[in-house]
Amino acid sequence: MTSPWNDGIREFVLAIADDEHLMGQQHAEWIGVAPFLEEDLAFCSIGQDELGHAATLYAIVAGDGDPDGIDDRTLDKLAFDPDPTRWRSAHLVEVATPGWAHALVRHWLYDAAEQVRWELVADSTLTPLAEASVRAEREEWFHRRHADGLLDALLPTADAGDRIRTALVDLFPLAVGLFTPVEGEAEAVATGVTAAPFDTRLPEWTDRVRQRFVVDSLPDGGKAPAGRTTRSDAFGPLLSRMREVLELDAAAIW
Amino acid sequence: MRRYEVFLKKDGKDEYRHAGSLDAPDDELALVLARETYLRRAEGDRLWLVDRNHLVIGPPEFVAPNADKPHRHNDGERIAERRRRLRDLGEKDAS
Repeated sequence: MTSPWNDGIREFVLAIADDEHLMGQQHAEWIGVAPFLEEDLAFCSIGQDELGHAATLYAIVAGDGDPDGIDDRTLDKLAFDPDPTRWRSAHLVEVATPGWAHALVRHWLYDAAEQVRWELVADSTLTPLAEASVRAEREEWFHRRHADGLLDALLPTADAGDRIRTALVDLFPLAVGLFTPVEGEAEAVATGVTAAPFDTRLPEWTDRVRQRFVVDSLPDGGKAPAGRTTRSDAFGPLLSRMREVLELDAAAIW
Repeated sequence: MRRYEVFLKKDGKDEYRHAGSLDAPDDELALVLARETYLRRAEGDRLWLVDRNHLVIGPPEFVAPNADKPHRHNDGERIAERRRRLRDLGEKDAS
């Protein structure tokens, strides 16, 4: 394995993995309760794609840069780790949404940021990460059409449009937090694991948000906690939901 | 919401087959949702969506009256019967 690897790069990849995992989990929670059957299937399927990306990234982390031969149980240890200090997720993917409009807006904001993020690692010196980027982009192209299609249909309608704009005001500051540098990003940039710091693309993403939602002003980005080492209040309940089945019988072998 | 009829086709000589229907607000979302509703496991290589409002539908009273024309049911039974008879005759002539 000639790919670079150190603690900083580990933090960098882990943050992407945790975001993908929790985003996938949150989307999947709409199964059975999305506004209509077809949407229910589509949204959960998108969540499933995100979980797939997370599994690939956790395997890179667990294998110190080499995902080959990492088994499911090792992935589960990372993905369902009960220790909150091990997590590096952004608060955007941790919070519970009050309804469908928020879930949809988060889906768009996250996927637009994710597109930039995958682009930055498309030529990564960490080969498995570059490969994951190619695979992810094939699926993300569809995810974006899904989110854009719904927003095209809903934004011009009175009630739905208002709900979506309210959700944008609520979620935008958290979404900006996605770009907060993770500890280790400097090392990831120095070793060519990523092409540039994520927040260098924040202005471009912000412009896209403005155009997409047709708004002149956006709320203040707020200050996301540095380094992604603190968890939001929503994290505990989310982790409990994720671990619910595991904890039914701690001794069971999966 | 509009209702779309979904047709799928595998590459090769198979024809398009009706897979089911779905509800979507417009053509773009119908495409996106058809992919998840009917193509999750690569059930087809090509996809047609038809807005149900664009279907030409035959009313039942227009379709039904041909049910009483047995002469149009070419099941081959009468020709088979004639051939059997001629074959039997031929065999008799030969003996």
